[in-house]
Amino acid sequence: MNPFDLKSALLAHHAQHVVLIHFPIALFLVSVAFDFVAQWKRNAALATAAYYNLTIAAISTIPVLATGLMAWRWQLEGQRLKGTLLLHLVLGIASSVLICMAWWLHFRGRKPERTLPQYRLALELVGAAVVALTGHLGGFLSGVNSPV
Amino acid sequence: MRRTGFTLGFAALAIVLIMMAGRAKSFGATAMQDKPVTEVKIDNFVFAPNPVTVPAGTTIRWTNRDDIPHNVVAEDKSFKSKVMDTDESFTYTFSKPGTYTYFCSIHPKMTGKVMVQ
Repeated sequence: MNPFDLKSALLAHHAQHVVLIHFPIALFLVSVAFDFVAQWKRNAALATAAYYNLTIAAISTIPVLATGLMAWRWQLEGQRLKGTLLLHLVLGIASSVLICMAWWLHFRGRKPERTLPQYRLALELVGAAVVALTGHLGGFLSGVNSPV
Repeated sequence: MRRTGFTLGFAALAIVLIMMAGRAKSFGATAMQDKPVTEVKIDNFVFAPNPVTVPAGTTIRWTNRDDIPHNVVAEDKSFKSKVMDTDESFTYTFSKPGTYTYFCSIHPKMTGKVMVQ
């Protein structure tokens, strides 16, 4: 494969999923870290940074889910959903829902008459754990976590 | 007496024919069994054994023992399997001598080689 062949790079079996997935993972984990530090230090700038990171993380889950489903249908030729593949799909959807829920809580909490609920921190921790587990399983499917 | 002899002769002929048919059948079965099939397992993201050296006309059967889907694709595109689930197999017969390199297109760092003599 020619590494500079644009068609292959963009359309080869929807390998973009493994590229795009880094965006919501990184943005969400950073936003969780920022939110915890903002809560601890009472730092409004960090809270704002957490919100914007979370916003882009939530938006980026859409193409990630779409390319993930396309990779399953085309690269894996619609393999039967079981084992690692099924778990990755279920946890991937759960991750997206948790990221969007965290974003929604922040979005709502930014209105002047509302405050950020404390339970969002627990939700974000659960979200970070589910995201990590999803990525771990995705690493096996893509071969990144293979023993050789 | 003549009729008995005819009956015995017919029975003997029938027995001979049945035995010949049996031999032919067993010969056919032996010929089928003799067709060489070499097994290559896909386990822990590795093709094993690798490389494989076989005489021309050998069939190679790849079987996926991983929980992760894999496939087998020749670099020269002479063969390509569908994506194999756990315990699924793909066979290909190498009729021409040469060196055939292949890989798993889902995990391209998984590579293998078949040397056909």
